[in-house]
Amino acid sequence: MDWTTILRFFRGPFFVVSLLIFIGGMTYRLVRVLLLGWSRDRVKSRGSKAMGVLKSYAKGVLVLPFIPWVKRTFGNNALTYLAGGLFHLSLLTVVVFGTPHMLVWKSLLGFGWPTLPFPVIDWLSAVGIIALVLLLINRLTHPVLKLITRAPLWLNWILVFLPFVTGYAMTHHLCLRYEVFFSLHMIAVDLLLIWIPFGRISHFLFYFFSRTIHGAQAGKRAVNP
Amino acid sequence: MNTQSAMNAYVKEIGGWVAAQLEACTRCGLCAAACHFYQVTENPEYAPVWKVEPLRKAYEQRFTVAGKLKLALGLETPVTDEDLKHWSTIVFEACTICNKCAMVCPMGIQLGPLIHDVRAGMAAAGLVPADLHAATAKQVEVGSPLGVTASTWAERMDWIAEEWEVDIPKDQKGVDTLVVFTSIELMKFPDNIAAVAKIMKRAGEKWTISSKGREVVNFGYFEADEALTKMFMARVFDAAKELGVKRIVISECGHAYDAFRWTAANIMDVPIGVEVTHIIRVIYDFWKAGRISLKKGSYDDGTITFHDSCKIQRRGGHIKEPREILKWLAPNAFKEMSPAREQSICCGGGGGVISIKEADPLRFAVFGLKVDQMKAIGAKSVCMVCSNCRLQFTEGVAYHKADVQVRGLTDMVSKVLE
Amino acid sequence: MDEKTVYDHLRESGFSRRDFMKFCGLLSGMMGLEFLPAAKLLGAAAGPSAAELVAGALKSKPRVPVIWLELQDCAGCTEAVSRSQSPSLVNLVLNKITVDYQETLMAAAGFQAEAARREAMARYKGQYVLVVEGSPSVDADGVFCVIGGKSGLDILRETAADAAAVIAVGNCAAFGGLPKAKPNPTGARAVSEIIADKPIINIPGCPAIPEVTTGTIAHFLIMGALPATDGLKRPVTFYGHTIHDHCLRRPFYDAGKFVERFDDKEARAGYCLYKMGCKGPTTYNACPSLKWEKGLSYPVQSGHPCLGCSEPDFWDGGGFYKGQSAPVEQPTIAAAGISAGVGVALGAVLAGANSVKKRKAGKPGASGPDESAK
Repeated sequence: MDWTTILRFFRGPFFVVSLLIFIGGMTYRLVRVLLLGWSRDRVKSRGSKAMGVLKSYAKGVLVLPFIPWVKRTFGNNALTYLAGGLFHLSLLTVVVFGTPHMLVWKSLLGFGWPTLPFPVIDWLSAVGIIALVLLLINRLTHPVLKLITRAPLWLNWILVFLPFVTGYAMTHHLCLRYEVFFSLHMIAVDLLLIWIPFGRISHFLFYFFSRTIHGAQAGKRAVNP
Repeated sequence: MNTQSAMNAYVKEIGGWVAAQLEACTRCGLCAAACHFYQVTENPEYAPVWKVEPLRKAYEQRFTVAGKLKLALGLETPVTDEDLKHWSTIVFEACTICNKCAMVCPMGIQLGPLIHDVRAGMAAAGLVPADLHAATAKQVEVGSPLGVTASTWAERMDWIAEEWEVDIPKDQKGVDTLVVFTSIELMKFPDNIAAVAKIMKRAGEKWTISSKGREVVNFGYFEADEALTKMFMARVFDAAKELGVKRIVISECGHAYDAFRWTAANIMDVPIGVEVTHIIRVIYDFWKAGRISLKKGSYDDGTITFHDSCKIQRRGGHIKEPREILKWLAPNAFKEMSPAREQSICCGGGGGVISIKEADPLRFAVFGLKVDQMKAIGAKSVCMVCSNCRLQFTEGVAYHKADVQVRGLTDMVSKVLE
Repeated sequence: MDEKTVYDHLRESGFSRRDFMKFCGLLSGMMGLEFLPAAKLLGAAAGPSAAELVAGALKSKPRVPVIWLELQDCAGCTEAVSRSQSPSLVNLVLNKITVDYQETLMAAAGFQAEAARREAMARYKGQYVLVVEGSPSVDADGVFCVIGGKSGLDILRETAADAAAVIAVGNCAAFGGLPKAKPNPTGARAVSEIIADKPIINIPGCPAIPEVTTGTIAHFLIMGALPATDGLKRPVTFYGHTIHDHCLRRPFYDAGKFVERFDDKEARAGYCLYKMGCKGPTTYNACPSLKWEKGLSYPVQSGHPCLGCSEPDFWDGGGFYKGQSAPVEQPTIAAAGISAGVGVALGAVLAGANSVKKRKAGKPGASGPDESAK
């Protein structure tokens, strides 16, 4: 068994299976929540729910990842805020605007887009890796996180961390042959795709529920979310 | 004590709204830093995410395949009697349902209402702290958590009218406005009731109080017992219908405003065409419309600040009104605390906490944060529009020996009517 | 075994001694002999250069016969070698060293050709090198490739049985090549999947670089064994680096300067072809260093992305213009739809069960007798 064949398998049939599990699994999670019953809000609004929702998303994307809306909480959780925010920035930028990743999207969607220069992507991915390590340390030492963390969360971390480091090693042609790290990268990504519907990484879907609910309740009361 | 009752209550109340938010949680732990109880004690069990655990377990173990699997494999434990007892203390004594956690959560999860749902399970299982439950029982029997009977109520109102020389119309049919007061105002801050009466008279408002709908406080809401919550509100709604008023004015009570204004329509039939509003809004409208006139700068000595009540400002929306009034009354002396407005720190007495003796050390500890806030800006006095906050502030300031005068804004306004 | 040495044959053909030494230098350089441990050692101790080593071998060793089979092929690898601009090398390899059987090039045809093959097999039993071009077909007893009434599969097996070594030239022989592309109607296979009991080396490429083919054969001639190979049995000398590693456009890749369309100004400026689907990073071959047409150019230099033609299954790699990083297979819309449908169905079923549970919990008496935990 040589690495070219391994690569072929994890970029080929296994990727297909992983992606199908991801699609089916996420649909299942969505429908399970959507069909659990929602009641109409009969309370009269004081302000605009829609404005509240818009502000809620603006706050969530532009403010919260780096500067908490609430004073004082930043000082106590600087690591979570900065590392968490930078990790997400790194993830989203590298996966969407990195040239090799854009070509993956292009093959799946049928269209591509302009990408960012290699040094930018490179630095951001390094930042992402460092952020992940810091977040791991955080989860191991923070009293609240120690209390609420169970096994699935460690799996989340590993399956997100591995694509980062294998991708970085691949791009920099570190230590092993290119197809070795490429294979490891694909194995990690495939396993991640399979795992996402089964754990809390799926928060990227439910984010839209909770952020909208939060914005709506604030908008209804005419306060800032 | 009945775990099954609690779990049943949870199963009943978990719909898409609850499920979506429980699924959204990423276990980031940021909510802890926003919680004033966690801040002063550093007890990780006071993290809001931990307070919601019984509800999360109920959801995962009753509604999801993965949850059932984890339970079967021993990776998770079921909810036990001991758990419920333990959590009862946490959610009733170390939480005021101030919802500051929701403001910090990167996912925007409404932890306050979710913790309220946890309380519902406790209520179903009969695990409400004794003091709180006793007060609720009193409200069921005599109509007031402080045990103020109908006759005492009437006598007290008469006394206030006499002592402060104000008119307090009772059970007047055909007027526009029904004002409902709290037992706290009645017994501890009667000046507030007199203040309202004075302002109403000056504004020329046709108003009344109601002997049937005399209590705005809702201890059923603190317990998260929906049946009792509805029962207590129905007393007021029925009175409003009987008197044919156009609006119900909630006086100086936070959670009552939350219940009447933001919850009632979704859990019961509310009288059609009857508006629900807060007294500070009414006063503000009078002032803006020129129905009352206030002497500018009449409180412009010694730094004065405003305390935002969780259920009237952050969860009520009346952030602008008290500030505009205060800036008029104290243009130079008014200073904001930091944080304030929708980010304000809870006084520590809400959510029923003030009624639980066991929780006294905790609520005085968290009040220390308010003392620090006031000290930081050199405040000589602080005002607010919630009588429960006022009671907590009064007791807290005494406990911490802080050199701050505690005032009610309505009271302040009534004293400087031109 | 023939008595005359290679050197003897070359002198007879009119090569001067100087031509011969130049040729040996070329051969040794191409094979990377300077870098082989034995050569290094010898060089340090005894003094002869690699060229001299080659010369010595060619002078002393007798010529080695080669049988060149063509199965399911396009003869492109043969064409490439014979079109090569190194006639002396081709001469050496095909006319002076090999020769006993080569379908495309030999003068004989039909039964005479087959007879020549069998005669060579008998005369040089256990000594000849078998070069295979094109892929064997196994389906339907090999009926899709029949030569002189015999299946290519049988001919391959029979000819390999008495060979000293097997060299699979071109992607078809090495990995199955074009005939093996989906849906592989003839059951094409790699030669290494059919012949397992002989030393075998792959010289993939579509076509294989002629100097790589002849260099490898020459290595066998000179060293008496096949050169060192990688995991896919390719000589490491020629297949040890990717196109990407030695690409002349690499600085553009690193700087993020890409061609977007074949007729844009970036293409004219010679920018990197990564976005055009270049498979350089995962393709091992000697194209950027040896190049084609005696070092004239190679696809990337001429402006076309690398196809990855020296890698297994490059025809089924998703497309020549699909990004190198893209998955080589992806679910069809139908499959994705079915998967989503299954998700919806399962989610709806569970939601239904949960709703029933909720309704039951809401009924009076739902909180039954005390059910304290275990």
